[in-house]
Amino acid sequence: MAARSVEVFLIGPARLLAALLPLTLSIALVVLVNLPVSLTGRLLPAPVLALGAVYYWILVRPALMPPAAVFSVGLSEDILSGGPPGLWAAGFLAAYLLADRQRETLAGLSGIGAILGFAGSMLVAASTAYCLAWAVYWRSAPLAPLVLETIITVMFYPFVALSMGWVQHHVIVPIRRHDETGVRDAIVRRQG
Amino acid sequence: MPGMGWRWMRGRGAAPLSFFVCAILSVAIALLGKTQASLVDGARAKLSDFASPALSETRAPLAAFERWTAGLSSLFGVYRENIQLRQENAELRKWQNVALALEDRVKRYELLLNAAPNREGKQVTARVIGESNRPFVSTMILNAGAEEGVKKGQAVVDNRGLVGRIYLTGERTSWVILLTDLNSRVPVVIEPSRRRAILVGDNTASPKLELDVGDGRINPGDRVLTTGDGGLLPPDLPVGVVMEGTDTPSVAMYAAADATDYVQVLDYGPAARLPATSSADVVASSAPTRAAPAPLPVKSVKPVKTVPLAEQTVARAVTGASDDEDR
Repeated sequence: MAARSVEVFLIGPARLLAALLPLTLSIALVVLVNLPVSLTGRLLPAPVLALGAVYYWILVRPALMPPAAVFSVGLSEDILSGGPPGLWAAGFLAAYLLADRQRETLAGLSGIGAILGFAGSMLVAASTAYCLAWAVYWRSAPLAPLVLETIITVMFYPFVALSMGWVQHHVIVPIRRHDETGVRDAIVRRQG
Repeated sequence: MPGMGWRWMRGRGAAPLSFFVCAILSVAIALLGKTQASLVDGARAKLSDFASPALSETRAPLAAFERWTAGLSSLFGVYRENIQLRQENAELRKWQNVALALEDRVKRYELLLNAAPNREGKQVTARVIGESNRPFVSTMILNAGAEEGVKKGQAVVDNRGLVGRIYLTGERTSWVILLTDLNSRVPVVIEPSRRRAILVGDNTASPKLELDVGDGRINPGDRVLTTGDGGLLPPDLPVGVVMEGTDTPSVAMYAAADATDYVQVLDYGPAARLPATSSADVVASSAPTRAAPAPLPVKSVKPVKTVPLAEQTVARAVTGASDDEDR
């Protein structure tokens, strides 16, 4: 009991930062794609990069991307894009549902398979947002921009996954390892 | 409870509960956004007010890069485009002379007939500090808000034609619903047949025309103008031309929302004819407008009459400017 209390006490700011990093990075991606400029002259819609990050963390560190965090990222996407609220929040949660239920399968994929796995999640998210928009506004949005946005998002996924992988291996894992070592030493000292 | 949902719930402890709470919350927010748009829009306006300095600073270098990439793609057609522009310019100069002569003649006829002049309100020139072109929305953010006298429903034009209308105002920023947006509905008239229609946005570059009753023939190349029905948007604002080769008539827009850095917000609606009720209104009405690249021609300001409440309601219904319709 004493050991556990020491462990809880020793969860420092570094570990807290590591825990908040996936959510922070996902919201940063939301801000990035909603910067007030279109690099393609409004020819192509901006990708939903945040979904790539959310998908990655659901598979790799699900504890750091709970449903509430997924919802927050989706709602940020809704608010910053200026669109009807709640659509991407629901879409992100639908993608969460798929990725969470098929985690073992999806996490084992690599290469093209991993991209296709994400494409499935993106498709689920986009379909959910589209259906909700239709149900609430009783008007069907044109499919072509949504399909285009889905394709662009899938094309960007490898870059997002590589970036998140770098953060996972070079930031989160070392922090947690260092923290665990520190906690173990503290427990040993206290017991000794 | 058999089924996959139950197995999933059983396996993951607390996560399913928070998942369902979040799922219900997101649907509730979507419904709230439809029925109580002002709540969500208020939060959004505060957010854009808060972020407006950062948005302004961020846009400048990125917009330069955007122009550079756009310019790069058109580099190869410059010579051909130049010849074409010279021809068009010569043609336009001829038409300019004709237009000036006709304008003068119309003025003389109006004087002879003692015709009621067109109303004009004040206008605010604003810089575009944000834009969004997503599957469910097509908007831009301006750096002028309630402090500058911008109000919901006002028309937004660039130097070519109508861009959209204001649907949300913060203190220092405002959001424009573009004519191409899924929720945009604007009454228009097609020249020369004078057939009336509703211009319906569908999030594509070419909004559709929902034709009203009438038997006027519509041809590709016909001009589309605002009707001014309801008194909310000014009449005869250029919108675009009817496009060729589609079953449902669609319109190629004059305004280029993607290439526009400055726009003008025209205060023409009922609010423009009411006396100023706050210090912000007074400041806005006395504040000089900032310079625009090429403003639309402004006619003389004349006394205006009060529009009955019923007419205002019709205006909102026709243009879809109510809270429910906007978002």
